[in-house]
Amino acid sequence: MKHAQTYQLTVNEMNEFLEQLSKKYDIYAPVRISCGGRYAKDDSIIYQPINTYQEIEFHERSTYPLKEVLTPITQTLFYFTEDEFKESKSPQKDVLIFGRACDINSIKIQDQIYLQNGGIEDYFYKRIRDKIKFILMDCPEQFEGCFCCSVGANKTDMQSLAVSDNNGSAYVGIYDSDFNNYFAKYSAVDHEIQTPLENELKVDYPVIDNLDLANKLKEHPMWKEFDARCIGCGSCTVSCSTCTCFETTDIVYTQNAHIGERRRTCSSCMVDGFDKVAGGQSFRKKTSEKYRYKILHKVYGYNARFHTGPMCVGCGRCSARCPELISYPATLNKLSQAIKEIKGGVQHD
Amino acid sequence: MTNNPVKPTACKLLDIMPQTQTEWTFRVKNNLPIKHGQFMQLSLPKVGEAPISISGFGDGYVDFTIRKVGKVTDGLFSLKKGDNIFIRGCYGNGWPTEQFKNKTVVIIAGGTGVSPVKSLVNMLCEHSNYARNIYLILGFKNSHSILFADELKKWQTASHFHVIYTLDDENYPGFKKGLVTDFIKEIPFASFDNEYECIIVGPPIMMKFVGMGLLMNKVPEKKIWMSFERKMSCGIGKCGHCRIDETYVCLDGPVFNYTIGKKLID
Amino acid sequence: MVEDCNIKKLRNNCFRQSKVPGEFMLQLRVPGALIDAKWLDVIKHVCQTWGDGTFHLGMRQTLNAPRIKAKDIPAVNEYIQPYLQAVECDMCDVKMQTKDGYPYIAPRNIMACIGGIHCIKGNVYTQRLAQKLEKLIYPNPYHIKISVSGCPNDCGKGHFQDFGIIGCTKPIYTIDRCIGCGACVRKCESAATRVLSLNDKNKVEKDPCCCVGCGECVTACPTGAWRRPAKDFYKIILGGRTGKQYPRMGKMFANWLTEESVLSIMKNWPKFSEWVLGGKPIYIHGGHLIDRAGYQRFKDFMLDGVNLNPEAMIAENINWAETEYRSNIHVKPLDKHLSVK
Ligand SMILES: Cc1cc2nc3c(=O)[nH]c(=O)nc-3n(C[C@H](O)[C@H](O)[C@H](O)COP(=O)(O)OP(=O)(O)OC[C@H]3O[C@@H](n4cnc5c(N)ncnc54)[C@H](O)[C@@H]3O)c2cc1C
Ligand code: SF4
Ligand code: SF4
Ligand code: SF4
Ligand code: SF4
Ligand code: SF4
Ligand code: FES
Repeated sequence: MKHAQTYQLTVNEMNEFLEQLSKKYDIYAPVRISCGGRYAKDDSIIYQPINTYQEIEFHERSTYPLKEVLTPITQTLFYFTEDEFKESKSPQKDVLIFGRACDINSIKIQDQIYLQNGGIEDYFYKRIRDKIKFILMDCPEQFEGCFCCSVGANKTDMQSLAVSDNNGSAYVGIYDSDFNNYFAKYSAVDHEIQTPLENELKVDYPVIDNLDLANKLKEHPMWKEFDARCIGCGSCTVSCSTCTCFETTDIVYTQNAHIGERRRTCSSCMVDGFDKVAGGQSFRKKTSEKYRYKILHKVYGYNARFHTGPMCVGCGRCSARCPELISYPATLNKLSQAIKEIKGGVQHD
Repeated sequence: MTNNPVKPTACKLLDIMPQTQTEWTFRVKNNLPIKHGQFMQLSLPKVGEAPISISGFGDGYVDFTIRKVGKVTDGLFSLKKGDNIFIRGCYGNGWPTEQFKNKTVVIIAGGTGVSPVKSLVNMLCEHSNYARNIYLILGFKNSHSILFADELKKWQTASHFHVIYTLDDENYPGFKKGLVTDFIKEIPFASFDNEYECIIVGPPIMMKFVGMGLLMNKVPEKKIWMSFERKMSCGIGKCGHCRIDETYVCLDGPVFNYTIGKKLID
Repeated sequence: MVEDCNIKKLRNNCFRQSKVPGEFMLQLRVPGALIDAKWLDVIKHVCQTWGDGTFHLGMRQTLNAPRIKAKDIPAVNEYIQPYLQAVECDMCDVKMQTKDGYPYIAPRNIMACIGGIHCIKGNVYTQRLAQKLEKLIYPNPYHIKISVSGCPNDCGKGHFQDFGIIGCTKPIYTIDRCIGCGACVRKCESAATRVLSLNDKNKVEKDPCCCVGCGECVTACPTGAWRRPAKDFYKIILGGRTGKQYPRMGKMFANWLTEESVLSIMKNWPKFSEWVLGGKPIYIHGGHLIDRAGYQRFKDFMLDGVNLNPEAMIAENINWAETEYRSNIHVKPLDKHLSVK
């Protein structure tokens, strides 16, 4: 990590700082939604615009990922009439997002798809991406199932600022000189904001280095159990920091049938219909096939195309959200085992 | 920023040419350069978008042959000449036409699968010295589902064309009864001097069996080309629907050589 | 010689007569059915010291010690005093004397399923409401059976109580979080009342009239588009009972009540009972009191002074369907009618 000047601010000073920032930036951070969770009285934590420091949830992993700021679950692309498509409004202000190391790294993967794949830049992604600066949140308490260190997503240098919550005050590290002038009135303190160095959970992330091996793995019996276990709900991919898939839908306003919107909506390879083509045929009918497709995208397909490592930052959200308690790291272990078997020539019928 | 790859452009619908009850060809004004075998995203505001193969093109127009199967396609069928269709594209790699130069080309297509090769077949028909001989096996379900009847006649009479038209389960003048796979054995591969290429297009199951049929006739895998159809939403490698492992059908296909296509396991 | 026992008095003290003369079974109340596990030592000690060493799990979630000799009852009452203090007075804030054991048996133990503290289906913390209800109905000479269930699965069998209180939710839909996957629609169809559908915008439409308030849609949703509001809702199923004469399943008396509304309705129960029985408490099941008064007068009493929340719905009429073990069991000479005049 680049070395930074660090300052210590009280909550009130942080709020002043955020207020000043809000003239230029829309600021997003993980925010606790009371009773927003799946089960009674459980909260959820979602990325939302914030005004004050106290709104930021520092001490629990967000339920849903940072990507929602860039690619909201439902996004209007165009407004149309019978004979014209007009792009939806661009964000006016610049954007500042609070995120942890894994969250910020996940945007590199989002960039890969939305800006690089096929050499085509997605207009709607780019127009917000260009305006974004990140504020790194440290992870003094890690959360159950975090394994960022196993996939190298524990370090980042994409942040402009870093913030560490310190019970009633905050350390702020400056990595981007654009922000220096906000701190002229404070004197620097000797404190370095750290990202995680080690996780309790260590995952030996499997490597699949060729398509033939990937294709052999598709035949492996390891996937079978998921027919009975996975319900194909898509919770894992919706909450995944690095999944990118979407659907496009047109809607008409009920009041005026001549105008409407073309929308982009988050989609998931785990959900029925994702691969359905004319005639009702689909290519992966069983949940074991869908789950296998998802896992192999994370482990194989993405890296085989871009050669930048797994499509995963080890944030642990997929497992945390799975209502059927399917552990992604446990699947990765089974996959490693299956790879060993195939390389060792074990036959399955 | 003005370059928005998913923003469609309004284009005039020049003509509608019904082929069957549920398959019509739509001729749309267009001046963009096109390669045989590419597709475009057609859209109707309020209804949505659909990827459709280019079944023909010429000076100032592009043809789409569309089967009425659902929301968007139903919407397209309700248009009249002079209405606007919104299009974006072209997308996809198209057929490797350079490879076909001075070779015999074997084309086996079924049903709507004929439309992604139609413009290529027309080109090969009009330019009789581009390739050598053309062997064409086209199959349809029954007499009501025959597409491009006019072209079929034209191709039949072209001197460098050898055609077999089939219907799955009906006796009908000009057509043999049976599946396209039944007639692969009538193609004299041995006489082609190794200077040939094969094209397969149709429903996945048909492509699978035709592929097997060709291999049984000792056609080398690398001489076989096929066009894939997968669910597509964006056409530009973003939405993820068409992906198979590291391959995006919209970007890297829809045309694949058999050596690659056989490994594309969903 | 048969020991002289005032069985009515002992019953009121929560010792129930055994077929063996002079023996009784203690029933410890567990309002809401959740207590510190350390109290199991208390019932165990009672069973082993004064009983025959067996323990019975009460049908209404009481902790029962069979075969206690009448002569030992004072010692038992002294021994269980800390339990009564902790569970009734401290946990439920009930105001009562604890030195002579339980003062009344008539308000039966308030049952509850485990509910929202554990159950993936639960909407509410059942214990919390049960404990608040205990304070309203106990100690009191008037009989009543209540259960609290965490969701409309009604594992507390509220349909066979005088008052079956069922925890519900009125899910909130955030349209922009919906991906149109239809999981909630399918779940509502397979597990609940089939009130959801996907519209042409690929978003969810709800027919709010028949939503049972189960929250299955929330649990099924992968995106958090459906969520439970912080405010709990309840329905009350009224007048269910088992019995030898005319058992029946309860019917819905109220829907979409807030906790506050539930409590202020239930607070009226003793007043209503007192009126029906002319101030002379006898051991008679609560449901019969409703029958004697008639639903309309019951309703007036129960809603007296209640400030219902705006969402609340109350049954205008209730038509119970009884199993009459003897046909025309209600047809009898006028002077045998029990209705309050
Ligand atoms: C590269 C490519 C070329 C194609 N070329 C042609 C063509 O030349 N002529 C033709 O008639 N059809 C073609 N199709 C299929 C055509 O895109 C679908 O029939 C069309 O999208 C259906 O849209 P709809 O709104 O009318 O149907 P819907 O109401 O959306 O659904 C009807 C059925 O079509 C399926 N479907 C929806 N979207 C797609 C999609 N993008 N791709 C495949 N299936 C889909 C649905 O899952 C459903 O089973 C092509 C598809 C691809 C991917
Ligand atoms: S696959 Fe799981 S651990 Fe990896 S980025 Fe997605 S949600 Fe996080
Ligand atoms: S895992 Fe599935 S939802 Fe996620 S990016 Fe890959 S294909 Fe899309
Ligand atoms: S793995 Fe779990 S979260 Fe993902 S689709 Fe299956 S059941 Fe749902
Ligand atoms: S709460 Fe239950 S009944 Fe109501 S909409 Fe949700 S699933 Fe259906
Ligand atoms: S389950 Fe959630 S995301 Fe799916 S259709 Fe219902 S509300 Fe929408
Ligand atoms: S169609 Fe969207 S990625 Fe290929």
